[in-house]
Amino acid sequence: MHEMGIATSILASADAALEQSPGARLLTVKLRIGEWAGVDASSLRFCFDALAKGTKGEGARLDIETPEQSDALEIDYFELEEP
Amino acid sequence: MSAVVYEPIAKKVLSENDRVAARLREQFREQGVLTLNLISSPGAGKTALLERTLELWPPGGRVGVLTGDIQTDNDARRLAAFGYPVKQICSGGACHLDARMVEQALEGWDLSDFDVLFLENVGNLVCPTSYDLGEEAKVVVLSVTEGDDKPLKYPGIFHKAELMLLNKIDLLPYVPFRVDAAEANARSVHADIDIIQTSALTGAGLPAWFDWLGARRRTQS
Repeated sequence: MHEMGIATSILASADAALEQSPGARLLTVKLRIGEWAGVDASSLRFCFDALAKGTKGEGARLDIETPEQSDALEIDYFELEEP
Repeated sequence: MSAVVYEPIAKKVLSENDRVAARLREQFREQGVLTLNLISSPGAGKTALLERTLELWPPGGRVGVLTGDIQTDNDARRLAAFGYPVKQICSGGACHLDARMVEQALEGWDLSDFDVLFLENVGNLVCPTSYDLGEEAKVVVLSVTEGDDKPLKYPGIFHKAELMLLNKIDLLPYVPFRVDAAEANARSVHADIDIIQTSALTGAGLPAWFDWLGARRRTQS
């Protein structure tokens, strides 16, 4: 239900990463989202894709790990393609 | 072209919210305010329980409520009837309160005026779980008109809550709710969760709730 907010936060964090590498493109976001985090992965992908359109994050893939009995909601790393 | 890996400094997705929440928590602790984040599905009786709580609060009590809803200030008007400071937060469509909303709502309030501050979240068992509001503890309200398997369906909040208030127990004769099963389900996701049975209508369990609040204030200070 709040996946739009989560996606917005992920993109803001990605922007900070992209500023470190001018001209780079976002390839992958590796996320850890525990089964108790209350975040639906397919809904998050949908929101992320919609928000990323027209930005440097467009086309990036969310690689989501789902630890059991955990409420983790973390960005593990971003994979960027540098020119 | 080459691929590089970049690790963000703040790994938590909601790190901005967490930053504000940490600031709030520090202020609450400095002023000795026990702040509780009340979470339940819509209609479990959070507002009714708070009405009873304010009604029974010892005279001269230092208590306040921030109450969150998507729309209307109905809850704030209900709660203001008891004469304590109450402020409505309209989340404007958002399904949860976040730390920034709480910080803004507290502007103009002197935290040293309070012993206990209740944050009544938007009725929702999922989204509020992710957003730290700087509270000392989360309290989940489950009512007997819901399913007794709710702790299994929404383990996140039952895992994080220190206390479960099992509300509307006056209705137990009329509903098929199994109290034992509900308590066992809650303990299966959170072995140490405290559980108090309450009825906002009859006042049953309110003394135990006040005892819990008193004990929790002593552990905090």
